[in-house]
Amino acid sequence: MNWWVRPSLRVASALLLPFIVPAVIIGALWALPGDPALNLCSPPSCNPEKLAEHWGLDQGPVVFYQEWFAKAVLLDFGKSWQVLQGFSVTELLKESFPVTAGLMVLSMIPLLAASFAAAMGAMPRRLDIGWQGLGLIPAVILALFFDAWLRITYGEQDLTGTRMAFGAVVLGLADGTLSGAIVGTRSVLEEEVKQRYVQIAVMRGESSLSNTLPNVLPALVGQFRARLLTILSGAVIVEVVLGLPGLGSLLWDGTLSQDFGVVLAATFAFSILSGVVLLVQGLIEVGVSMYTRRSPDVAMVGPVDA
Amino acid sequence: MKREAGRFFWVAVSLGLLSLLLVGSWLAPERLSPVEMDAAGLGFANAYLMPWEYPPFGTDERGVPLLDYALQGARIVTVPALVSGVVVMLFSVLAGLVRCAGVGWLDGALQGASELVGALPRLVVVLVVALLLPKEWRVLMPIGLTWALLAAPGAMDEAAATAGRLGGERFVEALRAHGFGAVRIYLYHVVWLNLRPVIVRQGAEVMMQVVFLEIALSYMTVATNVPDITHSASTVSWAQLLYHGYTALIGGRDLFHALALGLGLLALVGAMTQSFRLAARAR
Repeated sequence: MNWWVRPSLRVASALLLPFIVPAVIIGALWALPGDPALNLCSPPSCNPEKLAEHWGLDQGPVVFYQEWFAKAVLLDFGKSWQVLQGFSVTELLKESFPVTAGLMVLSMIPLLAASFAAAMGAMPRRLDIGWQGLGLIPAVILALFFDAWLRITYGEQDLTGTRMAFGAVVLGLADGTLSGAIVGTRSVLEEEVKQRYVQIAVMRGESSLSNTLPNVLPALVGQFRARLLTILSGAVIVEVVLGLPGLGSLLWDGTLSQDFGVVLAATFAFSILSGVVLLVQGLIEVGVSMYTRRSPDVAMVGPVDA
Repeated sequence: MKREAGRFFWVAVSLGLLSLLLVGSWLAPERLSPVEMDAAGLGFANAYLMPWEYPPFGTDERGVPLLDYALQGARIVTVPALVSGVVVMLFSVLAGLVRCAGVGWLDGALQGASELVGALPRLVVVLVVALLLPKEWRVLMPIGLTWALLAAPGAMDEAAATAGRLGGERFVEALRAHGFGAVRIYLYHVVWLNLRPVIVRQGAEVMMQVVFLEIALSYMTVATNVPDITHSASTVSWAQLLYHGYTALIGGRDLFHALALGLGLLALVGAMTQSFRLAARAR
């Protein structure tokens, strides 16, 4: 397979993701047996005819998708049907997006630091078992304990900042993210260092890391993206359990109250976040491949005459 | 010899733990034991009893035995988790076989599909599925299967990479030259001898993830006081034990034994996954 196929697939997937995800959800809603409006709102607590009229569900999936997407591009996601009745979904997204993005960024800090330390050989191998044991703990358990501790210590005080910090710690530690960052980075580098070209480079007086880094970067970036997806997934749990008003919380509320508009908008926002992460990975892969494949500056040495 | 004995030990442990879950789910009562009032009629009889006072696990704040919680929780998770694990294993086998068979277009198509499916946060997709499902279908099985489908790309990638390292098409060619038939080559040499560690580990991990997913989803519904999305209202999840533990932590109620039981059950599932991994490790 040509070197550019896989990165190109990644870039294409990243660009298509925000288009495909809402399309699949809308398609699935219509593919399920029964009237879509009835599936989303069951009488007598909800009026399906009114919902169908409100959302244009009576016009079929294609028209619905086209109209929804045309408005979504202009950041108009309509009004909330159930979560906060009559409230603009765009406003809800604006309030919740920074919380989730902040959680993601904060939780990346320990991961990046641990990866860097592992690459530099500063993480003792004997501690791996401890990190791995910690990684087996699900996010919900860690979040539960942190929430209990916060409630015991601070009562009902508004501690969004502290809760975000604890949330980031949970996301960084739970579900094997930190242990994966340490063990994964170290094992990839250790395998590469065994290669003959690295040994020759070291004998020439060059550093091992500068030689291995371009070759291991795609693998490390791939690992890091997988961890970010785990973090995004875990963010839903952490936000709900720790009471943070993020995208995950919004999606949870939308799902429970069957607010299709809120769920579609929150999922769209998640697909953009995932798309950005995928795009960065694809672009790094393309950049690294072009760097490692470019011709050397020195003139090619021809066959030596006897 | 010592290593083989170790393997048999882990096979026995993993199957023993799985059997424990299966038996537990089979023995689970349809409903929790009825609540009884005490002699004065002011409180619940047998409430807050410790495991040594009401074996094997004690009771909750209403006098309901925690054994009922453990058994009903096992019933909710065991079969969906098992089926999800098997689905991931089947996808991994498919990816490994395709790499060995050298079907280029199918390999490419699988990679493309994996790229798209694997690009989304799994829990987000699970919640969307929970929204779209009609209320009567809201049980763990479709949610677990969705999780399995989302986990499949990673498992397939690893299985295909393992098959690639094996030599892919050239490995099959070499075995053909030895006179082996296709069934023996693909099922015995490729899948059983070489892909087994990856496949079993991925399947076991997805089983554990589905159990943890159920607990997370149920805990969130319990904590936010809304209807469950993974099981019927008449059954209780292991998450309820954790929530009892949470109330014990913040409110000082005597339910720490519920927390210990909840964590113990999670540890049991984790131990089962680890023992499956050790049982199937490469020779």
